[in-house]
Amino acid sequence: MLTLTNVQILYDRAIEAVRDVSLQVGAGQIVALLGSNGAGKTTILKAISNVLYPEDGEVLHGEISLEGADLKRLPADEIVRRGIVHVPEGRRLFPLMTVEENLAMGGFLRDRGELSAGLDRVYGLFPRLKERRRYVAGYLSGGEQQMVAIGRALVAGPKLLMLDEPSLGLAPQIIDLIMETVVALNREQGMAILLVEQNAALALEVAHYGYIVENGRVVLDGPAERIARNEDVKEFYLGCSEGGERKNYREVKHYKRRKRWLS
Amino acid sequence: MELFLNFLASGLVIGSIYGLIAIGFAVIFKTTGVLNFAQGEVMMLVAYVSWSLATELDLPLVLLIPLVVVAAAAIGALLERIFIRPMLGEPVFAIIMVTIGLAVTLRSVIVLIWGADAAAFDVPLKGGLIEIGPVVLFTEQLFAIVLFLVVALAIFLFFRFTRIGTAMRATAQDETTALLMGVDVKRISMLAWAIAAVVSGLAGIAFAMMISRAPDMWFLGLRAFPATILGGLDAPLGSGLGGLLIGVIGDLSEGYIGQGLKEISGFVVIIVILMVRPYGLFGQRELERV
Repeated sequence: MLTLTNVQILYDRAIEAVRDVSLQVGAGQIVALLGSNGAGKTTILKAISNVLYPEDGEVLHGEISLEGADLKRLPADEIVRRGIVHVPEGRRLFPLMTVEENLAMGGFLRDRGELSAGLDRVYGLFPRLKERRRYVAGYLSGGEQQMVAIGRALVAGPKLLMLDEPSLGLAPQIIDLIMETVVALNREQGMAILLVEQNAALALEVAHYGYIVENGRVVLDGPAERIARNEDVKEFYLGCSEGGERKNYREVKHYKRRKRWLS
Repeated sequence: MELFLNFLASGLVIGSIYGLIAIGFAVIFKTTGVLNFAQGEVMMLVAYVSWSLATELDLPLVLLIPLVVVAAAAIGALLERIFIRPMLGEPVFAIIMVTIGLAVTLRSVIVLIWGADAAAFDVPLKGGLIEIGPVVLFTEQLFAIVLFLVVALAIFLFFRFTRIGTAMRATAQDETTALLMGVDVKRISMLAWAIAAVVSGLAGIAFAMMISRAPDMWFLGLRAFPATILGGLDAPLGSGLGGLLIGVIGDLSEGYIGQGLKEISGFVVIIVILMVRPYGLFGQRELERV
């Protein structure tokens, strides 16, 4: 449903953050976008949501389309209206507003009935938020904030949910809960999900398809199981070498072996 | 005691005017991070336009006010569209400079159109003196206080309970995320200017009815600015209260201590208060989770 073709993104008309990226998210798919810091993953999501301009970013070339319709020139609110909702990195709640006000902001473009139905659905999904609905969002724990951030996006009624590093800085238990929720949304409601992660093992576990981004380029893509079996991915992203032995970092010189896909 | 109450009342009257303008400052600052130094001039423009409406059309107050609200909203939105929108993405300092330029321009344009003479704004409200216990006020003065209370309540309800008001608060807290929720941030900025123009414009009318509409009315904007600082730049209601405080302190100090203190007493209070609370009495300190 979502297709990016040869997308090039520049900041300040000078710094190339993303070069020639093509990717696809099919209906009902979970697609993982993996890569290290500064690879361009977040920039790609921002380009899809069209919120690059406050940072002087711009999609210079390439096409971004949803079910054949061009998205590139549409304002951010129209993209939300078309069903692409973006959960930003680091939660980015409205810190001075209550949990319920935050969730209600997700339904900004929806009518009253859809809004209250959406709130009920989120409270069903995360009962803990219902207890804390009157709390000021800025004082919640990291895990609860992530629930609010995802819940807020769900109130908007997305067809495609884009999650930017939902596991960032969370306890393993909370990460499990979040990931279970994501998988459930995908299975039960057929919601397509574009998942940006640094934690490759985690993302490849739930995803159907994966892309690996390095220095603004897609260097590898394929079904998630195949990517997880790739030797380089294993070594550089999953942190185990052949045979699953632990790396001896004393011999760090050898660790700097070139990745095969760069040669 | 009687003297005190009368000082207090006249302080509240002028404080209501300051307070309304201060709310205008705060609404724009809170949502867009810009200090609009033309707020006093916008107020003056609205007052002049309503004066023309009132004298030409000879409307009663109940009809004049809604008409003025619409006109003021249009003026605010238009000014934002023409002068502020093209500056989007530029440094805040540059935008503030634009508002200073806008202030000077508006002052001259008003003199160009309406001339430099003052004129009485005596059409709509005629009721003479009202006695409340020992306090004696003109109807126009009471009108200013009532107007302040009504507007402050409306502003509170708007930001608290309406969807668009919540969206304005959200935009103030995190603009990019507000975009991601589907908020059209440009329209929010326009709305903030419209609201500020309405609120401060009403203050302009109230003031013009008390004294006259005159080309030095913009000076009220400078007087109201400390009120915003005192109440907290990002707190509309706090700013309004700051206006009342400045007004009351000014009149009391002038009445009891001496001529000329009205101008400086407010600033003295601000200096003292800002030493203790640098973000203003009701301003929001950065929220930090520990």
